[in-house]
Amino acid sequence: MTSQAIQSIVIVGGGTAGWLTAGVLASRFKSLAENNGAVGIDVTLVESPDVQTIGVGEGTWPSMRTTLQSMGINETDFMRECNVSLKQGSRFDNWVTGESDYYYHPFSLPRGYGEFNLAPYWQLARDKISFADAVSIQSKLCDRGLAPKTIATPEFAFNANYGYHLDAAKFAAFLQQHCVEKLGVKHVLDHVTAVTAKDNGDIEAVQTRDSGAIGGDLFVDCTGFAALLIGDHYAVPFNTVQSVLFNDSALAVQVPYKDEQDPIASHTLSTAQSAGWVWSIGLPTRRGVGHVYSSAYIDDENAERELRNYLTPIVGRPEAEQLAVRKINMNPGYREHFWHRNCVAVGLSAGFVEPLEASALVLVEYSAKMIAQQLPANRAVMDLVAKRFNDKFAYHWNQIIDFLKLHYVLNQREDNGYWAANRNPDSVPDSLKEMLELWQFQSPWLQEAPRFDELFSSASFQFVLYGMGFVTQENPAGLRAEDETLAIANRLFSDNAKKTEQLLGALPTNRELVSKVAEHGFQKI
Amino acid sequence: MTNFVLLNQADHSDIKVITDRAAKYGDNLKSAMTFPFEFRNIQGCYPIFFQKDSDSGSFFPLALFGFTKDENLFLSESGWDATYIPLMIRRQPFLIGFQEDATSPEGKKPVVSIDMDSPRISKEEGEALFMEHGGTTEFLQEATANLELIHQAHEHGKKFMQALLDYELLESITLDVQLDDGSQNQLLGYYTINEDKVQKLGAEALGKLNEQGFLQPIFMVIASHNRIRTLVDLKNASLKQ
Repeated sequence: MTSQAIQSIVIVGGGTAGWLTAGVLASRFKSLAENNGAVGIDVTLVESPDVQTIGVGEGTWPSMRTTLQSMGINETDFMRECNVSLKQGSRFDNWVTGESDYYYHPFSLPRGYGEFNLAPYWQLARDKISFADAVSIQSKLCDRGLAPKTIATPEFAFNANYGYHLDAAKFAAFLQQHCVEKLGVKHVLDHVTAVTAKDNGDIEAVQTRDSGAIGGDLFVDCTGFAALLIGDHYAVPFNTVQSVLFNDSALAVQVPYKDEQDPIASHTLSTAQSAGWVWSIGLPTRRGVGHVYSSAYIDDENAERELRNYLTPIVGRPEAEQLAVRKINMNPGYREHFWHRNCVAVGLSAGFVEPLEASALVLVEYSAKMIAQQLPANRAVMDLVAKRFNDKFAYHWNQIIDFLKLHYVLNQREDNGYWAANRNPDSVPDSLKEMLELWQFQSPWLQEAPRFDELFSSASFQFVLYGMGFVTQENPAGLRAEDETLAIANRLFSDNAKKTEQLLGALPTNRELVSKVAEHGFQKI
Repeated sequence: MTNFVLLNQADHSDIKVITDRAAKYGDNLKSAMTFPFEFRNIQGCYPIFFQKDSDSGSFFPLALFGFTKDENLFLSESGWDATYIPLMIRRQPFLIGFQEDATSPEGKKPVVSIDMDSPRISKEEGEALFMEHGGTTEFLQEATANLELIHQAHEHGKKFMQALLDYELLESITLDVQLDDGSQNQLLGYYTINEDKVQKLGAEALGKLNEQGFLQPIFMVIASHNRIRTLVDLKNASLKQ
């Protein structure tokens, strides 16, 4: 075993995963070098001019604000150059009965969440008000297409928590420019032709068509579904989860607005179909729309028909029939491990699930951050860091799969075997079954978070459970019905209503804010 | 409400402008926009802060006259008790506007508008604008000169704000003021210049700021902090009445 110091990192692949990883790593190393006099670590990104990026991931989590800020990116530049609008969460239409039902999963936590669990008290009034309306300010803001902040709110700060909707291709190009010009990332535009290994099995270099061998101490596989290093070279097995999450196909389409001043939704809209669901993401200049479905329950032709039917009321019949549709095949699942020897997979090469909760980019951010923060000092300790990384991300993937499945198990739709099959206990992971059993008698709250960096907080589980009509029969011994706690709950509900009213009167529409950003930009303070 | 029209002798020969200072003429203002070139005079009387324009989010400097809406602590029976009144107050009821003008190198020329709904407009009392047999009065000439000054000061002020932002000298502040009657007044949404950051600027930065005429107004803003005490004293005095 060698204890060679880690001095250079080679990222293979240049989509959003590659450039986000490059940015997170390079900005961290740069600030360590500037502030602590640490030895700089070279970051090189090799990107093939021949390979098209998949460019579908168009929704982010609020975590992206911190990620961009830590890379030294100016939010105004980012919004202007990447066709960005602001996102406050997701709305799920027709997921329960299919008869015009809907619920929100907003980004903000329920009011007072850190100290008080409102869910049991909402249950007492569940027939009068939706869970999201009772505990969050954001469902009403989304209903009216309002932005989560005003032009006078400083960059990255908010009145209501938010992430982004963006153009993935423009985002990759924007990050590339920032990484190369500001963070000193070396960019090699060349096609990787082979991988050469050392005697111990580590990757020594990637061979390129015109630039020769590119060597490094750590290789990051951001080659997407191709999985050049983790898959082709190392053949790390891929665990499919299709028995849990049935969808294996997607049809994507770009939908223009009728008028350039049309409202921009400040949430991702997910509308259930007969054997899948349609996403709609509002960018300033167009909508990104797509149908995710299971080919076992609907064929491509009928899936395309459902997508065009969805578009008809939005753009009119002639346009809905003409828009060009792109097919994407997908296999939900993830690698048996992600960090193997001196190679770590980030992005689609590590795994993929349907974009129901926009988990793709946030996993890239989490992965890149962990690599940056725990970068092994030398090769000798790399295997230990790799083990920790693998444990953590296996945990994250399991949680994502449980959480996505939760959106399906509580459905009451009878229109297609797809929905019945989703309710079938055989398709539900044991971990989720256990939680559902427990949640019949106590609502998920802070006790659900064994790790400090959970991807989905228990609040997310609350929004989906109670949005879909799940009933928790609180244990009377656990529900504190004394006057004092009831008074706290009532105060929090009333605070939430007041705050909502105040923001409804103060916030511009998402469209207005985007126009103001184009004209004036945000202030830094 | 305002009703601005282009000023011209034909329509406005009999118009007079009241120059007295009183709440009934719209002087009951908590603050007014100001410009770096007048900061020296402003800081002799009022605290200078910065605020964001709600429409664009951009910063502008203001002189503070009171703590609550419509409160101008300098206003009394006898008028506006201060040695200097900000230019943006003195300009009332006039406004500078622009008309397309092909003969001018900028393609536009400044024109003077007047707010016909202003309570300052009168036919009986005040300063005349035009002379009986044609020509403008000294009063109008001075008002026009002030408007031109505002126009130039506005451009200079924008560059000044940009410099403060570029050197990251601004910080938000919350002012907690306790009055003699025990009541608390809190001023939110204001920004000021961080003195420590100014003192840490290098020679090159200081030189550049000085060249553009920004250094003196920066120190005037810092000096104006003492005027918060003046406001508190005026407020306490008003409580005793």
